Amino acid sequence: MDDELAVKIEVPVELKLLRPLNLFVRRLMEQAPALAASEKLLDDMELVFNEAFMNVHDHAYRSGAKGRLSVEIILGSDRLEFRFEDEGESFDPDLISAPDADDPGERGRGVWLMRQCMDEFIYRSDTDGRNLLRLIKNIPALGR
Amino acid sequence: MDIEKRGMVTIIKTDERLDAIVAPQFKDTVKKMAEESVLHLVVDLAKTRFIDSSGCGALVASIRALLKNGGEMKIARPSAQAKTLFELTRLHRVFEIFDDLDRAVNSFSA
Repeated sequence: MDDELAVKIEVPVELKLLRPLNLFVRRLMEQAPALAASEKLLDDMELVFNEAFMNVHDHAYRSGAKGRLSVEIILGSDRLEFRFEDEGESFDPDLISAPDADDPGERGRGVWLMRQCMDEFIYRSDTDGRNLLRLIKNIPALGR
Repeated sequence: MDIEKRGMVTIIKTDERLDAIVAPQFKDTVKKMAEESVLHLVVDLAKTRFIDSSGCGALVASIRALLKNGGEMKIARPSAQAKTLFELTRLHRVFEIFDDLDRAVNSFSA
């Protein structure tokens, strides 16, 4: 796989789609030899995708409003990128603190995990109500 | 999820995924156990190849439920993915984790 491979899908934000989407993304990532060669990398990226989807489910559309989400997976020559675009409630990722081992809560680890596993975490909320999360992992020779 | 009893120790064997789909059911199961005076619980993650932050949250809620009633909860046989997750979220400092199920079962204070 030498050229960039980009797949974009639009999905309703429903919990029952979590596992099918995870499986789809994992199988897609396995098309890149540099990813397929590392079970750990595949696990980490699957986790990141899972957390990003759940973040939209739990927070962007938390009031139960049916929302849609645009998901794009980009396998470039030297990077993997996930793009999540929603029209729900925005949030400020800088307000989310690291997990506290002395007082572990039941929630709030998703953003931390995404930041730990990826090289770039870019979140932007537009005035037209669209939120875009870009998660980028640099992977040398991904496209070969 | 399978449940096994060995003497005074209850073992919950989780399925392939401990994620947002099953986390509520897991929490409810442990909550009921705590209410029914289960004091020694081992969560056996041997079959679990994927755990997410919801799964972690369920484990935190569960250990709290046990501790509240004077009980203890241990984790056994986490996969490499689970170990990575526990370290990233600092939960390896919260849970007592064993690579061997028998050692986890035998580790409870009398």
